Amino acid sequence: MADYRALILQRHRQLKWKAFDWVEAVLMILCGVCISMFTLAVFLDVVTRTLGAPWLWLQQVTTAFFAWGVFVGMAAATRRNDHFYLTEITKRMTGAPRQTIEIVNRLIVLVVAVLLIWCGTQNALLDLGSYRMPSLIPLTVYTAIVPIAGVLIFLFTLEQLICGWQNGFEGPEDRDDTREAVL
Amino acid sequence: MSAAGVLILMTLLFLGFGYMGVPVSFALIAGVLVATAFTPISMQSMVGQLFHGIDSETLLAVPFFLLVGELMASSDVATRMIRLSQTLVGHLRGGLAQVVTLFSMFFAGISGSSTADVAVLSRTIARDMDKEGYDRAFTAALIASASTMANLIPPSIMAVVYGATGNVSIGGLFLAGVVPGVLIGIGLMIYSYFWGPVGVLKKRAPLTEVIVAARGSALPLVIPVIIMGGILSGWFTPTEAGMMAAMYILVVLIPALNRGHVRELPRDFMYAGLLYSLPLAAVAGASAFGWMVAYLRGPDIVAGYITGFAGTNGAMIMFLLVCVFIIVGDFIDAVPAIIIFMPIINKLTEVGNLKPLHMGVVIITTLVFGLITPPYGLSLLVASKYVGVGFGKAVIRSLPLYVVFLLTIAFVVLFPDVVLWLPKQFLPESVGCFKAPGGSGFICPP
Repeated sequence: MADYRALILQRHRQLKWKAFDWVEAVLMILCGVCISMFTLAVFLDVVTRTLGAPWLWLQQVTTAFFAWGVFVGMAAATRRNDHFYLTEITKRMTGAPRQTIEIVNRLIVLVVAVLLIWCGTQNALLDLGSYRMPSLIPLTVYTAIVPIAGVLIFLFTLEQLICGWQNGFEGPEDRDDTREAVL
Repeated sequence: MSAAGVLILMTLLFLGFGYMGVPVSFALIAGVLVATAFTPISMQSMVGQLFHGIDSETLLAVPFFLLVGELMASSDVATRMIRLSQTLVGHLRGGLAQVVTLFSMFFAGISGSSTADVAVLSRTIARDMDKEGYDRAFTAALIASASTMANLIPPSIMAVVYGATGNVSIGGLFLAGVVPGVLIGIGLMIYSYFWGPVGVLKKRAPLTEVIVAARGSALPLVIPVIIMGGILSGWFTPTEAGMMAAMYILVVLIPALNRGHVRELPRDFMYAGLLYSLPLAAVAGASAFGWMVAYLRGPDIVAGYITGFAGTNGAMIMFLLVCVFIIVGDFIDAVPAIIIFMPIINKLTEVGNLKPLHMGVVIITTLVFGLITPPYGLSLLVASKYVGVGFGKAVIRSLPLYVVFLLTIAFVVLFPDVVLWLPKQFLPESVGCFKAPGGSGFICPP
């Protein structure tokens, strides 16, 4: 990728610091790496099984990339505001009510992120003593992504909170009569 | 606090946070974590449950079916199928509306993603529909309604999630989804023909043009054969079939039909990687939510209410569940809804002595309807955004199309033999049949 900025979503730019753009780009690349790797792993699994010499550990590699991909994507989607939402009511609000609700929403996400970091770290440490058979990969290799994602989600939410406080949460994208670009 | 109280608190918190604008996955997690404080369960084990919720090999099929959809949409290979649809039905009244529906039926056989279908149609036909004078609200309503077929006609992501969490044959759910999927397609075509905008009437395409378009679409249309052929022959699991379809697109389709797109593949993979994490993040939250529902004996409580009305009458239980899921589908995305309610669905399937596969296809068809109903009709939200029309206007134009969905749901509930005919022929075990002791044929329960 010639320019990493091509990977940065410009929607809701006012909620982002330029300094974190490279983190979003790295996470996007990691999303691509994870899905590519588990596609390759499943492919090799089918090939080796068809050849009569299955590599059983491939299934564990597959699930590791899969799980990492989910949590890396969850963190990336937090910065890009790409998550599934139940409603767009907030986007139609303006002024102080909008500011208040947006702040409360992000505080809720911050609390969840803190719990992911704290409890996720405890779980990952506990999992050091557990192994996946037959590859004997420590379970921590899988579960360590939970607190890592928690840290990233915390950072991005804090970024949005501070930027939103300074610049406002409303953006031109919130109008619904414009044709949004199809990716 | 009583178990029922904690259940209600958890549900209200999830809906409250969700409708305030907290992302679905975080709203689910927040609701569960608050509920956990009222139980002896540790926060640590609930956070662990988030990971265990997605630690499933069967769910691996989800990213593959999304990847297939994204690759087909972004590489413009799908436009060949649009051309084929145009030559087949473009001359009918409401020609472009017919093309939207027929293309969606083709595309549904390739991709499990209604969003990819919406993206392809919004980028291509929606602009032509603008030029031909179709109002944008109708265009958005039709594209959204037609895209829902992707969740019924195999491969279907909803079927994968339902099968994985409900321990129901995914191959069986794929086959059982064909009838409701095709019924919705036919219903939308009939509506467009008699009551939709006329559009610009065109001449029927000559046979040579149809043949040329069919040849152009031949390679993409091999994908359903790879997926269903692989699963039905027992060569592949649904996950492996999805991977093989993705490989086929990467190795055969794109190099053969749009070589220039090869440079864009890293970008496609990055977006597909992000895209699959969105429903699965919701799955992680929903699995913790579903676990807590089961722990608090939610299935017994809800089953108690429903059997209070319906007794053990299977048809009545199914009817009440359809009503519940029409409401649920209006407020919650289908994937988390399936996982949250699975313990309750399983309990009621047992109480009503219903076929799990029949129950599965009824629930999926009902939730598919939720993709176009307010306030949370995901397909309609995306389509109205891409087409550039207010969501409210698109909802109003969708109202007559709801009849098609309601009739289809009624058909699926009332005629299980028709719906389950395909799985019974190709995957008899999926409908509860077992091999005859003599070794020839199957014995199926009535």
